[in-house]
Amino acid sequence: MIDLSVQIGNLTLRNPVIAASGTFGFGQEYSQLYDTSRLGAICTKGLTLHPQQGNPGPRLWETPCGLLNSIGLQNPGVTSFVKEDLPKMKEMGLVVIANVWGNTVKEYGQVAGKLSNTSIDAVEINISCPNIPDQPITGKQTARTAKVVREARKACKKPLWVKLSPTSEGSSLQLARAIQAEGANAVCVANTFRAIAIDITKRKPVFRNIFAGLSGPAIKPITLGIVYELSLALEIPVIGVGGITNWQDAVEFIMAGAYAVQIGTANFIDPFCGIKVIKGLTTFMKNQSIESWEDIRGCAHQ
Amino acid sequence: MDKIDVRTAPVISNDQVAPDTFLLGVQGTFPAKPGQFYMLRAWDINPLLSRPMSIFDRTDKLLSFLYVKQGKGTHLLSRLLPGDKLVLFGPLGNGWNQQGNQIALVGGGSGIAPLFYTAKVFGKVDVYLGFHAKPFLLRTFKQVAKQLYVSSESGENGQKGLISNVFQPHGYDTCYACGPYAMLEALHHTCQNAGVPLFVSLEEKMACGIGACLGCMVRTTQGLRRVCRDGPVFLAKDIIWDD
Repeated sequence: MIDLSVQIGNLTLRNPVIAASGTFGFGQEYSQLYDTSRLGAICTKGLTLHPQQGNPGPRLWETPCGLLNSIGLQNPGVTSFVKEDLPKMKEMGLVVIANVWGNTVKEYGQVAGKLSNTSIDAVEINISCPNIPDQPITGKQTARTAKVVREARKACKKPLWVKLSPTSEGSSLQLARAIQAEGANAVCVANTFRAIAIDITKRKPVFRNIFAGLSGPAIKPITLGIVYELSLALEIPVIGVGGITNWQDAVEFIMAGAYAVQIGTANFIDPFCGIKVIKGLTTFMKNQSIESWEDIRGCAHQ
Repeated sequence: MDKIDVRTAPVISNDQVAPDTFLLGVQGTFPAKPGQFYMLRAWDINPLLSRPMSIFDRTDKLLSFLYVKQGKGTHLLSRLLPGDKLVLFGPLGNGWNQQGNQIALVGGGSGIAPLFYTAKVFGKVDVYLGFHAKPFLLRTFKQVAKQLYVSSESGENGQKGLISNVFQPHGYDTCYACGPYAMLEALHHTCQNAGVPLFVSLEEKMACGIGACLGCMVRTTQGLRRVCRDGPVFLAKDIIWDD
């Protein structure tokens, strides 16, 4: 029996393949296609203190091997999630990572606090959504990020993961170290890139917020590079996310030092992507006689 | 509900039926009801997304799609040859439900695509088709329509002008429409004034196709709804049109 399991802090996942936030809803839709409890975990759509409508359209725009989105954290709010969606997810046997957004530092603590005594398995603090107008990307500022993590740590006893922006002012490493020092259990590297597209017939940006978030295979080598650097320097696990489309990509991230990977946009290329990556990793371990991910994790570091 | 699945099927035909307009047929038995759609792809990761296409026709042996070559995805579709493989994800969306006896189907531009199979399954319905340029597939539609009405800018093979002006809802129990937003909005006002229920099939850019990504929302009187999952068919009076 091949053991694909991975330990992230105190949380054990049956395999290192996680559905990324915002691409998988609360798991219900993809569960019509396959048994989603076969995934290592599912990151929920970003949750806020109050329900949010998200951004007016357009919300999607394709780029070569990439996708710009401007969804804007449309969600039913954390209270409704805990009451309506979470029980369904747990009934299906899913490992649930609740993705959390605060419009203020205080709100991060409030949302995380509402999840502390629930059946979720971990919190993923989203400090890096590029789609909220007039809202700085917290993850670009070390001091504010540290405060956010501190608030969440105080309010919530669950494992805390922090999802970084791929573009930080100053050093990603300094930021990640601050997050680690505040007691986070893992960092997820990284969210979408803040980017734009221009409609040349209208002579203006495609999106009403001007900026949107770029994801997909186009960004993979860049996030892989950040994972490589951060996993060398941090003691807490790094989870890779950004353009992973197949098992070979997942192996690259593990060899760069990642403990687990998240599959996001690739679910839109192939709705069975997550399951196929798990199958590919299983065969890979078998063929290479790998007993545990520790055998190869970070092996690319020179 | 029929099981949603990803399947690969061989192309059996991909014929140009008008300038930049193609009818693509694939072999196989596909479960699908009128007004539902499939996400199609015949490429690796560029373009990134699959293309949502409503069903033009379905038999026990084939499924076909009518599409206009516009961007990169439809350009690649237009180059498919018999024997090539097409990946289909579906059937998706709610589709049309038959209501009443006197039924009119109204389509404009590429919005005529879902009307053929709908007319075939519903039976004995009037079909109204609006074309920008020279009308096409008229003989095909005549096979399934009780009465076929056609309009175009030139008036060739029918009346001159917009189909939303030609169409009169009086006497119909229910109307179904697919086409450009402005056409659907005009039909909404016409049908509302006549007190005839109108169902519209909406088009949006889609990523997941099953309601997970929230990329294709439409504002309705009941709040935001997902075109791919809660639609693509909505009751026209539920849509907030002046958006």
